[in-house]
Amino acid sequence: MSGRCCPGQTPSRDIPGPGKRLALPDGAPLPPGAYSTTPGGTVFGTTPGGTRIIYDRKFLMECRNSPVAKTPPDLPDIPGVTSPNVEESKIENNHVQNYEKVSVGEEEQFDMDI
Amino acid sequence: MNNKFDALKDDDSGDHDQNEENNTQKDSEKEKNDREKPQSSTKRKAVVPGPAEHPLQYNYTFWYSRRTPGRPTSSQSYEQNIKQIGTFASVEQFWRFYSHMVRPGDLTGHSDFHLFKEGIKPMWEDDANKNGGKWIIRLRKGLASRCWENLILAMLGEQFMVGEEICGAVVSVRFQEDIISIWNKTASDQATTARIRDTLRRVLNLPPNTIMEYKTHTDSINLPGPGDRGSLTTVEDRGTQRGQLYF
Repeated sequence: MSGRCCPGQTPSRDIPGPGKRLALPDGAPLPPGAYSTTPGGTVFGTTPGGTRIIYDRKFLMECRNSPVAKTPPDLPDIPGVTSPNVEESKIENNHVQNYEKVSVGEEEQFDMDI
Repeated sequence: MNNKFDALKDDDSGDHDQNEENNTQKDSEKEKNDREKPQSSTKRKAVVPGPAEHPLQYNYTFWYSRRTPGRPTSSQSYEQNIKQIGTFASVEQFWRFYSHMVRPGDLTGHSDFHLFKEGIKPMWEDDANKNGGKWIIRLRKGLASRCWENLILAMLGEQFMVGEEICGAVVSVRFQEDIISIWNKTASDQATTARIRDTLRRVLNLPPNTIMEYKTHTDSINLPGPGDRGSLTTVEDRGTQRGQLYF
């Protein structure tokens, strides 16, 4: 009522893209404390919010098969939610299947680089 | 520096003994990986990335909760129903937990997985959440597992680019639909909420006409759904006809 000329409107702007990413071979070591040279993720000194450790989906998925990732963790025993012993192998198999199915098929769009 | 761990300890007293029991089974491994196990002693140790692991920007904690249908959810019973699953600091540690938990699509009943930054409880009342809100996306059955995975990978990988604003993510399994949501600190920060929305569209590959709902936690507290105390995800339990997403 008071405003005449849409004073509340701000033009929309594009979000700055995440920039370049580096693909790394599986299990490549990360020098501790040397984030500016992070091989596994891309770190920006000038991103909004400061320096960040950034990983894209593809890289995170590749880490899934590392030995540490496969070691069973200590989980509280919650029936139907965590399966520390009995169903472990079954669940792992499912995961592998799902992962393969997904990466081959319907989710190709996630490989596109932004 | 132990403040946040102490605070967390308060609300999972029911789980604590159980965790310790589990831990005794793996003494040999325990020494080696001691620092990766936040629940392994009454004094929680800092979770840090192991050698050659890929550190995350933040540590995160997995939580699980399940509600008995029809039972009023008081603050107390909410805290009793929510269980900490574990905390991780690296990509590899994340997969350790994730690969050994069922996928949300295989959960039964009225259940939620929460993945929040370490030190932030998945509750409105937490200092990090009290002025915050969440984006909510309703999913038809069958999509939750895939969408949840994409959502949390984006969060862990810092794809949202909103500084410190992200608090955590929730997947809620309900009877006729599932809901995923992502919580941020400052509901009034429109630049942030818009950026989160746009990132969600991208990482979940949502069609442009997907209905997304932003809800402040204040609204969730003031307008709770029937029979729902709502510390969890109140809005998910009411108005299920509205904005249902079938993509």
